[in-house]
Amino acid sequence: MTNTTVRQAVGDGRKPATHGGEIAPKRRTRPGDGWAAAAFLAPSAGSFLLFVLAPTIGVIALSFYSWNLLSDGTFIGLDNFTRLFSDSRLVAVYRSTTTMALAILAINIVIGLLLAVLLETRMPRIIRGFFRLSFLFPFVVSSSAVALIWRFLLNKDLGLVNYWLGFIGVDHIDWLGSSAWAPVAVVLVNSWKTVGFSILVYVAGLQSIPNEIKEAAIVDGANAWQRFFRITLPLLSPTVFFLVVINTINAFQVFAEPRVLTQGGPGDASRTVVEFIYDTAFQSFDLGYASTVGITLMLVLVVLTLIQFRVSRRFTFYG
Amino acid sequence: MTTSTIKTAPRRRATPRLQSIGLRVLTFAILIVAAFAIVAPFAWIFRAALSPSDAELYRLPPSLVVNDLTTANFGKVFEQVPFLRFVLNSIVVAGSITAAQLITCSTAGYAFARLEFRGKNVLFAIVIGSLMIPLQVTIVPLFLVMAKLGLTNTLWALILPPIFSAFGIFLLRQHFFSLPKDLDEAARIDGAGHARIFFQVMLPLSGPALATLGIITFTYWWNDLLLPLVMINDTQTQTLPVGLVLLAGRFSSGSLGTIAAGITMAIIPVLIVFIIAQRHIVQSIASSGLKL
Repeated sequence: MTNTTVRQAVGDGRKPATHGGEIAPKRRTRPGDGWAAAAFLAPSAGSFLLFVLAPTIGVIALSFYSWNLLSDGTFIGLDNFTRLFSDSRLVAVYRSTTTMALAILAINIVIGLLLAVLLETRMPRIIRGFFRLSFLFPFVVSSSAVALIWRFLLNKDLGLVNYWLGFIGVDHIDWLGSSAWAPVAVVLVNSWKTVGFSILVYVAGLQSIPNEIKEAAIVDGANAWQRFFRITLPLLSPTVFFLVVINTINAFQVFAEPRVLTQGGPGDASRTVVEFIYDTAFQSFDLGYASTVGITLMLVLVVLTLIQFRVSRRFTFYG
Repeated sequence: MTTSTIKTAPRRRATPRLQSIGLRVLTFAILIVAAFAIVAPFAWIFRAALSPSDAELYRLPPSLVVNDLTTANFGKVFEQVPFLRFVLNSIVVAGSITAAQLITCSTAGYAFARLEFRGKNVLFAIVIGSLMIPLQVTIVPLFLVMAKLGLTNTLWALILPPIFSAFGIFLLRQHFFSLPKDLDEAARIDGAGHARIFFQVMLPLSGPALATLGIITFTYWWNDLLLPLVMINDTQTQTLPVGLVLLAGRFSSGSLGTIAAGITMAIIPVLIVFIIAQRHIVQSIASSGLKL
């Protein structure tokens, strides 16, 4: 799967080498390339081995141990994995993470597209620039600063958000202290920070659609909705796909917002998997089990990405 | 609102002009509300930083006019936490990661785009596959390794783990693909080796692509909370995101004005850089989507 995707992505017209390397006389490989490649790849390969491959093997190895930082670990076989299935807390954390991730994804994909389309309508350049900069700014500010600001604004009795909501008749919402609203707060604050990125990527995608196509559609009498759904959206599908993949991976790694806003609470209502891993490893010092949970997160990301690539082949249109 | 405009339009035979004015008003209304939702929280925190007492800050509605502005809150930040150390640490960490990634990603990107070698496709598949193993997954063994090496509580523990970047390699490989092949062929005929082609032909043409990766990498690691939280236990070695949380206290125990001043000092430099380099930042982030 990955292999074919990559081969398509490579797309430099090189035929796949099918014969044994040594006896294929027509290979255009220059003799020097192998050594040059080794030299050019060395910095990446070194850091990959040390900081990606070794820890990945480490996380798998640790999952077979009970390890608490004070003593060296003891081998406990598959106990950590059987524990996964009976851990009702983990199930709850995965449920809340998935719900929050889907909401963050939906806001980025749908609201992001709406705002990007609105930004691309006719308006003075300086106003467009102002909007674009305001939307993007939270993206470059640190999540912890953003979450701290919102911790004040979402305060139940003294926060501005509830004060303004009072004008439209909404009673004081306990944003950070109730299990119904805490996940909503995490979703809103995270989306507030990230949607500018999605908007900007959408705008770049919209601008790359040739004007002639839209003009041709106008000449043919297509109205604005037809033009959007029949022309813009299909031509934008690679951008949508890119944003879905990136935002999914990001949404499953949310950590700072629940950490600062709600401490994952109340209970586990707004706890994300990454926060659960952090708590298990560095507060309960249960490193083996934390690694096992880490493996489940890795599997979730792999499965989601593979599904997205498969789906994209049917629905993504690369003009 | 939108649907009603659409539905009534054909019946009343509104002129396209009227309809388009309505749509434009709606467009601007939505954009202004969205921009307000983004700008207002920042404005509020800046104002809080300049206010003398917390009672004033919690008054609703917030008064837009602040009678007695004060800068005392900023002084209190420096009394409570080593703020300048946080900033310095963050600059060193984000700067070093960026510099290291520019080296690892540009060389690897060049190799994958321009060199022929055995196992290229397999290696590249491994690079792409590693996108699915984020640091959050391997944080426990990374911590153990850093602890064994005695690097926890040093900035090395924050700089080393992110040096390899699959995203960066992919981004720069796409960029090198986009450069015309005639360039390096001409250089090769002139007798240049790969090192010379890379440094004297390819890199000089790669400014914007390197800037894109640099800006994205720097902002990402400037803002990271997890790695410093795990690796650093010593206030003097902490980075700005954790420093702000320390300043705020676990349950908002600190004075609001002081916390606001800390947040403001963390944001203002970013805002200035952002406004100065806006065109480039916008371009960089926008093109990250187009290149993939």
